Amino acid sequence: MIVCVAVIGQQNNPLFLQSFTQEDDDLKLHHIVHCSLDVIDERVNNPKRSGIAVNEAFLGLLYPTESYKVYGYLTNTKVKFILITADPEVRDADARNFFRKFHVAYVDAVSNPFHVPGKKITSTSFSRKLRSIVDNLGSITTV
Amino acid sequence: MEPDVSMETCRIIRIAVLPTGGEIPADILRHYISMLSQFNTVDLSSISSFYVEHQKSPFAHQPWDSGSLLFKFVIGGESASAWEDFQSNRKILAVVGICHCPSCPDLGEVANDFAKECTDYKSSLVHRCFAFSPSDAQLEAGGNKENDLVLFPPSDRRSQELHMQTMLQDLAASLLMEFEKYVLRAESVGTILKTPLDSQAGFGSEEMIKAKKKRLGRAQKTIGDYCLLAASPLDANAHYTTGIELARLTGDVFWHAGALEGSACALLIDREDNRDPVIEEEVKYRYYNVIQLYRRSSVSDSAQRASTVRFELEAALKLARYLCRHELAKEVVELLMGAADCAKSLIDANDRLILFIEVARLFGTLGYQRKAAFFSRQVAQLYLQQDNTCASISAMKVLSMTAKAYHIESKGSSYKSSACSNESGSSHAEGGKLHPSSIVSLYESQWSTLQMVVLREILLSSVRAGDPLAAWSAAARLLRSYYPLITPVGQSGLASSLSNSAERLPSGIRCADSALPFIRLHSFPVHPSQADIIKRNPNNEGWWMGSAPSGPFIYTPFSKGSPNDSTKHEITWIVGEPIDVLVELANPCGFDLIVDSIYLSVQSGNFDPFPVSVNLPPNSAKVISLSGVPTKVGPVIIPGCTVHCFGVITEHLFKEVDNILHGAAQGLVLSDPFRCCGSGKLKTVSVPNISVVPPLPLLVSHVVGGDGAAVLYEGEIHNIRISIGNAGSVPVEQAHISLSGKNQDSVLSIADEALMSALPLKPGAQVTLPVTLKAWKLSLVDVDPNSGKNAFTSSARMSKDGSSPLLVFHYAGPSTYIASTEISGSSSSIPPGRRLIVPLHVCVQQGLRFVKARLLSMDIPARISENLPAPNKILEGSSNKEIPTTPTHQTDNSLMKIDPYKGSWGLRLLELELSNPTDVAFEVNVYVHLDKPKKPCNTVDTDEDLCCSRTRIDRDYSSRVLIPLEHFKLPVIDDSFFSKDHKVAGDDGSSILKQSKAELTASINNLISKIKVRWQSGRNSSGELNIKDAFQSALQSSVMDILLPDPLTFGFRLKSRVEEESSSKARLTKGAVFAHEMTGMEALIRNNTREMITMTLSITCRDIAGDNCIEGKKSTVLWSGVLSGVAIEVPPLQEITHSFSLYFLVPGEYTLLGAAVIDNATDILRARAHTISPDEPIFCRGSPFGVQVLGTA
Repeated sequence: MIVCVAVIGQQNNPLFLQSFTQEDDDLKLHHIVHCSLDVIDERVNNPKRSGIAVNEAFLGLLYPTESYKVYGYLTNTKVKFILITADPEVRDADARNFFRKFHVAYVDAVSNPFHVPGKKITSTSFSRKLRSIVDNLGSITTV
Repeated sequence: MEPDVSMETCRIIRIAVLPTGGEIPADILRHYISMLSQFNTVDLSSISSFYVEHQKSPFAHQPWDSGSLLFKFVIGGESASAWEDFQSNRKILAVVGICHCPSCPDLGEVANDFAKECTDYKSSLVHRCFAFSPSDAQLEAGGNKENDLVLFPPSDRRSQELHMQTMLQDLAASLLMEFEKYVLRAESVGTILKTPLDSQAGFGSEEMIKAKKKRLGRAQKTIGDYCLLAASPLDANAHYTTGIELARLTGDVFWHAGALEGSACALLIDREDNRDPVIEEEVKYRYYNVIQLYRRSSVSDSAQRASTVRFELEAALKLARYLCRHELAKEVVELLMGAADCAKSLIDANDRLILFIEVARLFGTLGYQRKAAFFSRQVAQLYLQQDNTCASISAMKVLSMTAKAYHIESKGSSYKSSACSNESGSSHAEGGKLHPSSIVSLYESQWSTLQMVVLREILLSSVRAGDPLAAWSAAARLLRSYYPLITPVGQSGLASSLSNSAERLPSGIRCADSALPFIRLHSFPVHPSQADIIKRNPNNEGWWMGSAPSGPFIYTPFSKGSPNDSTKHEITWIVGEPIDVLVELANPCGFDLIVDSIYLSVQSGNFDPFPVSVNLPPNSAKVISLSGVPTKVGPVIIPGCTVHCFGVITEHLFKEVDNILHGAAQGLVLSDPFRCCGSGKLKTVSVPNISVVPPLPLLVSHVVGGDGAAVLYEGEIHNIRISIGNAGSVPVEQAHISLSGKNQDSVLSIADEALMSALPLKPGAQVTLPVTLKAWKLSLVDVDPNSGKNAFTSSARMSKDGSSPLLVFHYAGPSTYIASTEISGSSSSIPPGRRLIVPLHVCVQQGLRFVKARLLSMDIPARISENLPAPNKILEGSSNKEIPTTPTHQTDNSLMKIDPYKGSWGLRLLELELSNPTDVAFEVNVYVHLDKPKKPCNTVDTDEDLCCSRTRIDRDYSSRVLIPLEHFKLPVIDDSFFSKDHKVAGDDGSSILKQSKAELTASINNLISKIKVRWQSGRNSSGELNIKDAFQSALQSSVMDILLPDPLTFGFRLKSRVEEESSSKARLTKGAVFAHEMTGMEALIRNNTREMITMTLSITCRDIAGDNCIEGKKSTVLWSGVLSGVAIEVPPLQEITHSFSLYFLVPGEYTLLGAAVIDNATDILRARAHTISPDEPIFCRGSPFGVQVLGTA
């Protein structure tokens, strides 16, 4: 089950954060997303050591926490997508697939002429789209 | 759990350090302990001299040349751990007492006390008591006592340290010997080693056998531990290997893990090069096994999970610390996250605390600041759960360490690092630009959810910890950065926590973090006296030239310089003259903000600011003026304001607010504090380069009799007295007055000598300067002549639009040189000059209005008589300058001059039509200025001017004034009239025509300037009509006729009667002509030119009907002499007479007319006669002379 997705801007500023749980754990999720930036920062700064291919945007598992796993995705413009999932085992292909859709949705959202780059994304259609992507993935993984 | 665990932990010898023998002052104790704790490593090689054991050492492979013992000093000691059998390094193996001799006179007592204390440490093998600063008596007494007391005689620190080192080496040697003893005993006798895990286990027969085997394994493990402590890794390894084997056989998982852990440590100690990848792999492998084993041991005994998990976690932390490098970050993260996840299974809150601290530290070492911050926060929360001040202080400290990762750190801490780099220079240079790092911090500041939580926790912990300044700072940061996310109630709560904190702070304390209000620079209002500072060039006397705006435009593109340097403007302030700076304050919060005092903070220290206090209502912004006085010469740097608000003094930098505003514009910052207060958007104002110059003189002016505008009628002449005083502290030594602005020519005179003669104008001195003004003419556009009623209102409006002329004073103090050190880089070292602009406020009303001017001519024929004309005196070739004394009998008649020859024929009069639209009466006088003041005039006015009678024009009436122009007629016609000002005239006669225009204009102007129309209204106002243009247009066409006389003038007179006629009759008929009588007449022809004129003269006589009555059929006049075709030559400026006689047949009115055709006319004559072709004959005609012929009856 996907718990939360987030978009983090170039300057590590949060652009979007949506949680898919009923619980009131926003703060916790914020913390998890914030902490995940450490790992992303490191991978961004030392791409060689972490051994990811140059063109690979998917960063894989960033780190596991007590109950969640955090996956990351880095676009060419250094916008980060972060996925927090409660599933103990997520196939990389699924995560990659999810991020790709996520990326498309993001591109659609920021292509809105009324969107100011660097500002938080407030578009409700982006949020709706994300929810549908999340639901899709959820159905795949549970099936 | 233990803090600070690492691979090395296994080999560190714990020594309890106990202060004994009475109170030791804290700083002295600290000093002793610091001395002690620097010797935490003792080389084996250095202790060999103290090593006195003669039996065979169990440590066969001890590396005496390279090994070393490690000490850990446990200050104050600790209670014995239940696990010390399991890990021998947990034991307190030695006790060191510290005694400050001056506070305990009896050393014996101290020794007893110390021995008593040592009994608490059953595991301890060696005891020493270090007694510092003993007295001489104590030294003597202590020297021969046999106990553990070591006296440190007072000496310098260095020798004491040496002493201490020696004592510790001795201690190390003793420990080593004790270890050997222990090992030997353990090998031979065996010991019972227990952990809390075993306590409940019953001992059945089977278990007994198993326990025996286990005991052996455990003993081997413990011996290995001691080997490690004795720095003999090879021996340790051997014992561990045996121990591992035995433990595996007996299924003693827990001890197996412990032995494996020890073996890994031994491996590392053995191989100093512990970064060898093979070793690293081995260590990693062993440690994963260790962790696995610990986990298994706890799984097998789940009831004890809580107690064994700490060993698992310690092992994980040890491994993580060992691996803690960037390359292995992933592994470390997994280890740490795994460890952190286990935190829940730890029962002891202290263990959890230690775990989180260690995890946070390791993440920090790894460079994962955010994770470190996260765990630090967990630590802080654990601390906060403990309800005591110390824990709160710890929580506060830990939280303030996390602040950096969350970008909410207090400026006080962050400045220390960056203060040196961009202190003054950058604040000045890059006012508009953002520092890159500040942009990043703007972005990071968007994690407001987290930041607010952390700040709240900092606030809470610092309140609990009783640190009001930290609480204030946290509340200030919270309020300033996140006010839009806080409810008004919360804002007020923060405000009250600010004030509560401030109550517990000493007054006048400063805090690096500013709270409210937000302050931005609004503008630098430039006082005129500041703006009008002009650089003086020492080489140029007229430094004021070109400094004043010369043109009609306020802005000239040339004066501004290139656009490149337009961003920075310069402001000059003067020592001792107060200045103002406008700043805008905003209070975006929902409570009343009372700023106790706010003033400009000036780094350069040459400025004396005046504090003000402000009250800002909720959600409001206010522009206030902050003032101060520059005190010293030099540049002034104003980075911001100092604010005393909520009981604390803070520094508010303009740059930061600019950053916030910039961020708000980009949507990076939550909100623009100024806009949400309803204040408009403002361009970022950069602090200009401000320099302070030494005191300058300061002139102030006022108009004597009030500064209000003088209401004047058009053309009115008015005297203004301007009083100028020096309000500065330096005398004025140079001054210059000039005019600027509109209507400059309305200033007739400035008595600047009054000012010049008063120089140098001492401070406080005053000078009065009279200025004569003539009100200018209102432009016709503004005054609609048709609307008489509106005329006044429109003219009143006119006066306001700055059409008054400006009087510009440039002045300067003494031009002494300033010491060049004061002003660095300034090109001129002379104090600048200043400018004072005094507007001459004049409100011009429409006055007497000129309607039109017309040139009129008037003909009054002369009468023939005997005594005309009187002989002309000038005939002897005088220059034209000498005006002939016109016939005296007519000069009485002021301006009316009637030429005796011409009569009043062709008399020219200028008629001025004037109307008076005002509501007062005007009296108009016409003055004609004469060139020659020789002749006495009986006019009322000056000698030079002739005055016509006054004309009074009442309100709303029109009137006409006649000005006779006869006076201006020149007596002689010659070249000089044309060539008066132009040298080109002369030889070539034809050029005269070409010169016409300019000369005409010049002569007209000359003429006009002689005529002045003055008016007077009431008692005070008098003026002059400016009607030159009207004159000019009226005179343009006929100026020649006015100015130049005819070339020839004709006159007639009666010949004197014969003497024999009776005198009575002659008297009676004097000047009369009778019919039927031969009347002798003379025609006088005068040549007004300077050339001989040859001409053909003819004389005609006309009757009243205008018919020629000499010729023709019905001629009624007979004549004798020649009347027509008389060829005459008239010499220049002479007159000749031509005699003839007429016989009138019929009495009545006749008219005599002289006419002549000039032969060989010169060009001047042609020009005068307006001839077109040179062949045209020039016909000259005289004015008619009337003859009254009386009947003889």
